[in-house]
Amino acid sequence: MSVLELGRDCMLEVRGVTFGYDGEAVLQNVDLRIGQRDFLAIIGPNGGGKTTLLRVILGLERPWWGQVHWYHRPSRGRIGYVPQFSTFDRNFPLSLEDAVLMGRLGQRGPLRRYHREDRLAVARVLERLKLADHARSPIAELSGGQMQRALIGRALVAEPEILFLDEPTASVDAETRTVLSALLQELNTRIPVVVITHDATSIAAQVKQIACVNRRLWYHGSGELTNEQLEEAYGCPVELIAHGVPHRVLGEHSHSHHGH
Amino acid sequence: MDELRLLFRYEFIQNAVLAGLLASVLSGLVGTFVVVKRLVFIAGGISHAAFAGLGICFYLGLNPLIGAVAVAVVAAVVLAWLGEGGAGRSQDAYIGILWAAGMAVGIVFIHMTPGYAPDLMVYLFGDILTVTRNDVYLLASLVALVLLIMMLLYKEFVAVAFDETFSRVQGIPVRLLTMLLLVLVALSVIMLIQVVGIVLLIALFTLPPVVALMLALRSFTLVLLVAVLLAMLMTSGGLAGSYWLDIPSGPAIVLFGVVIAALVRIAVWLRSRLRSGVPGM
Repeated sequence: MSVLELGRDCMLEVRGVTFGYDGEAVLQNVDLRIGQRDFLAIIGPNGGGKTTLLRVILGLERPWWGQVHWYHRPSRGRIGYVPQFSTFDRNFPLSLEDAVLMGRLGQRGPLRRYHREDRLAVARVLERLKLADHARSPIAELSGGQMQRALIGRALVAEPEILFLDEPTASVDAETRTVLSALLQELNTRIPVVVITHDATSIAAQVKQIACVNRRLWYHGSGELTNEQLEEAYGCPVELIAHGVPHRVLGEHSHSHHGH
Repeated sequence: MDELRLLFRYEFIQNAVLAGLLASVLSGLVGTFVVVKRLVFIAGGISHAAFAGLGICFYLGLNPLIGAVAVAVVAAVVLAWLGEGGAGRSQDAYIGILWAAGMAVGIVFIHMTPGYAPDLMVYLFGDILTVTRNDVYLLASLVALVLLIMMLLYKEFVAVAFDETFSRVQGIPVRLLTMLLLVLVALSVIMLIQVVGIVLLIALFTLPPVVALMLALRSFTLVLLVAVLLAMLMTSGGLAGSYWLDIPSGPAIVLFGVVIAALVRIAVWLRSRLRSGVPGM
């Protein structure tokens, strides 16, 4: 297990959280610590509670039991959050630029207009994400990959102190993957990055920690999970994680597991 | 032209046009949020619930609009609260109940009012020609209030409409803003009752924004502006049509709007066909 000294390297801690919907627990007694320089992949089967765990951490849901404790709570508007882009109304009348500008919302506070420096921050981020040419395009005209980068841009203009991404690599193009991968690596030298994914291969090279969520949570600091842990949690193609991470080989996934 | 100038000498015509223009501002601004946030059914519920307040004040001999404002605002707050999980997933059904119950209470009180109740049809289907100068002043102050709130909280309203979850993570008081938006809907509903009536006002909330959304996708502010202008075209054009064709003003405004929407939809479709350059054409 990773040796994190409580309160020093640890940014936040999920303590014994149980939460669910309609009286049915989706998460059961979940513990998790996220360190200051962690690059944590939260993996697990669909419906296993990955996104629910993220919602609890973000304070969007109040756990039935347990709590989320921040050792270093980011200031207002400084939590980077990249939602799944498939859940969006793409026909909303907004230019790419204006959508990204919303990342400055929390810092600007109510009753204030956006400043010039906000727009400059947006321009810098769009440049970084290779979206500058599309700044004035309506979001309805963006490709899936461009939209995904726009959502990442929106999180980045907030100059976040921690970054959460929900399925950032689902159905995106090669350019987006390349940009994303370099970007996350660079960000991780300063802030913790937490990626929810069902496809760990696309970001495997950067991942330092893995948590597997399926109602309960299995954590491994070094990115290794034992076969027993994986089988208990999963029952789906976990061998994916090992691709591209030769120095951190996971045990071969045994194909003999029976249906859960 | 002379006939038009002559017409505008009449105060009731002036009042009607002013009321139409003021209502258009709200129809475009608040209506656009109603459409993009999918609150059309809620807006319908609030407007029909308002009929209860209208009926009660009618019975008590007070200005019916005061009762309508009070009930509409309360209904908006209750619906916002129900929407926050207070009622589980059945907010939809509760809106339906509020809708019918509001109408029932209103009708009962108007029925109990001694004497003939000629104004019932006016409130249900609107008659912009009955708007008084005092009504215009009331409308103008409500418009000013809505405009002020919208301007102060504009970027928050747009952000919440686009992405509620992200706004919450950013520390925006989403629930409060949603409730405030519904209160603005309620206030706007009262003004639109004057123009097209309870039954038809949903047209003013939906037609201008829907057409504006067909025309502009690049900027939310542009959509708001276009929607306001379209609503003004709808109300003034409908009013003129009701005069020339001698039909009631409420339905004339709504039908004129439907014609505009259909024409714009066809034009947009034709343009996209031409742009895609069908081979052999």
